[in-house]
Amino acid sequence: MAEHKLFPVQEIGSLPKAPWLLAYLRGKKVDERAMQHLETWSKRIGFEAEPETKSTLSQTKNPERAEYLRDLASLFGIRFLEAAGLDYVYDGEANRIEMYEHPVRNSNGFEFYGHVRSFDDRYYRKAACVQKVGFRNPYHLHEFAYVSKRATRRIKVPVTGPYTIAEWSFNEFYQKTLREKYKDLRELKYEAKREFVLDIAREILRPNLQALVDAGAEWIQVDEPAATTKPDEVGFFVEAFNACTEGINCKLSVHICYSDYALLYPDILELKNCDQLALEFANRDNGRRESYDDLKLLGEYHDPREVGLGVADVHTDEVESPQLICDRIAYAAKILEPERIYVNPDCGLRTRTWDVAYSKLCNITKGAVMARKALS
Amino acid sequence: MRFDVLETYLTGQFPRSEKLVEATRAAARGQISQSDLETAFRQDLAALGQLQRETGLRYYVDGQLNWQDLFRPFSMIFNGITYGGLIRWFDNNTFYRKPIIVGKVAFEHTYLEEYFRGNLLPDTAAKKAILPGPFTFTVMSQNNTEKSFADLVDDIAHALKELVRDLTNAGYRFFQFDEPSLCTRSTTEDELRIAGQALDTCANGTEAKTAVQTYFGDGGTIAGRLLDYPVDCIGLDFYSTSLESLREYSFGKEIGCGCIDGRNSLLESPEDSLRFLKKVREHLEPKSLSLCPNCDLAFLPHSIAEKKVRLLSEIAEKWGNDGRA
Repeated sequence: MAEHKLFPVQEIGSLPKAPWLLAYLRGKKVDERAMQHLETWSKRIGFEAEPETKSTLSQTKNPERAEYLRDLASLFGIRFLEAAGLDYVYDGEANRIEMYEHPVRNSNGFEFYGHVRSFDDRYYRKAACVQKVGFRNPYHLHEFAYVSKRATRRIKVPVTGPYTIAEWSFNEFYQKTLREKYKDLRELKYEAKREFVLDIAREILRPNLQALVDAGAEWIQVDEPAATTKPDEVGFFVEAFNACTEGINCKLSVHICYSDYALLYPDILELKNCDQLALEFANRDNGRRESYDDLKLLGEYHDPREVGLGVADVHTDEVESPQLICDRIAYAAKILEPERIYVNPDCGLRTRTWDVAYSKLCNITKGAVMARKALS
Repeated sequence: MRFDVLETYLTGQFPRSEKLVEATRAAARGQISQSDLETAFRQDLAALGQLQRETGLRYYVDGQLNWQDLFRPFSMIFNGITYGGLIRWFDNNTFYRKPIIVGKVAFEHTYLEEYFRGNLLPDTAAKKAILPGPFTFTVMSQNNTEKSFADLVDDIAHALKELVRDLTNAGYRFFQFDEPSLCTRSTTEDELRIAGQALDTCANGTEAKTAVQTYFGDGGTIAGRLLDYPVDCIGLDFYSTSLESLREYSFGKEIGCGCIDGRNSLLESPEDSLRFLKKVREHLEPKSLSLCPNCDLAFLPHSIAEKKVRLLSEIAEKWGNDGRA
């Protein structure tokens, strides 16, 4: 349950990628603007870039220096979140390609064929599961070890969940395996999906979570933005969460966003090891706070968990004022016991500029201070 | 009942090639001109025409390669429609922009060749147009007018009817109306009636073949109504529809058998597909049977979609051999 401080502020996911890191990794010249970004933000957030950073950025890309710079970007992310005043931090997922490709490229059984469209002229690479999925390496261990050495605040590790990995992939192997057993195509697809999701949970996620706990992780957040995409598969998400967290001895939470949360109930009550539901609300706030009324679901279903309250919209550059953040927290605190509420942005801030992301985070912490005062 | 020839066709958007993906990105960054981008679109369309010719599809589509989603072109083609924010496209990890109805919906006879590019397909091709069904169009839109739901469906149906007339004059021989909203939500009897009347408005008066296409949901739940609709063919997504749920119905129409999955890269076994088609024929005894993907192939990478089209051809050939045996 929540600690004594009301409304602790937590990170929720990814930050933008540092321009100097991107340029270097793409083998391009790190231009003046990118260097300026590094210098300006170093001063602003107290980021202790090492003396050799500048000379490294002016050199041609090489694998060893790339790793050094990735770690540096990780440190940059940590200091960014700490300077904004968060109580729980990570590194903005600086070391990851992005939340889907990172686990998939570091696990066995997947193959990428090409791009598919997400919307308009935006595309993403979607992998196919072509053989039984399997653990290749503990793909968050290096970053966690680095973060835990450098962070001065408490740490929460975000990890992409098994249902989302499966939902965002093509399922070739499991469907092929079950072809003989199920002749009805609908049944075949459904059952194959279940096996796929559960195998990802057992074979990929669980060893990764165990490795993190063995390395000292105290809190892991399982990201499942796809949890309600197919309403008849919400049970798979629940089953998979339980499978990957079985015997995992640390605080566990789940992050879900842009979803109809009513679809989660009652299945989500069966999550066995989940201490917190971190959810997006601010994006749908119509000014009358009606989106936050979804919190009543927890009361209706006697769900005793903490809530990670999304109080800042990550899809707009408009920076919420501390007063607005405070109002949202206060509204939620009328529905749930204040002790159960953590506050956070709706989702990762990776699509915002560094300036906007920072301002939003700073105002979240200010808003939380105001709410604490108002309710204490 | 035997059908020696199995007609094959595509049922939705075709994915852009990796080259076209890159071209659209380059255009967005201002690195290539709109004219260069148009050339890339035409190259993809030419390749798609060639693919459909090689694989012997009965009807050819233009792949809707320059459509951003099923509704976006209609903000240009029709009056009274603009569009808003991104919304999830049914249960997929893709998104569309919600049409916003701001005035009387009407067809203005413009932008036809920009969005219906059958004139760039091989001359001999029997062309097929894929259109949003009026019911789904209305359900998926935001109505900012005073019109009732039923009146809006009717307006859209009349606008589509005029579009169908123009396209028929332009040589189109098959019109597919996409109605996934009929089977992906709880539909009332009244809604099913409104949807049927609207399809009657759209399809009535054309000599061309017509189909209502359902996908992403169980077509079995509304099969009784679908059979009453004034169209020649009922398209069913058999990855979402249980064959068993259809057995109680007598199919006096063609079934568009969507048993090639547009949402999974796994290539179906031709033998399994053939067995499935025979089961559909035996259990449902439709007037005729055609073979198609269960939905757009645009959910797949281009290279896989091409393989799925070749698969349609392979299955149809085996069916022909089998049927004559």
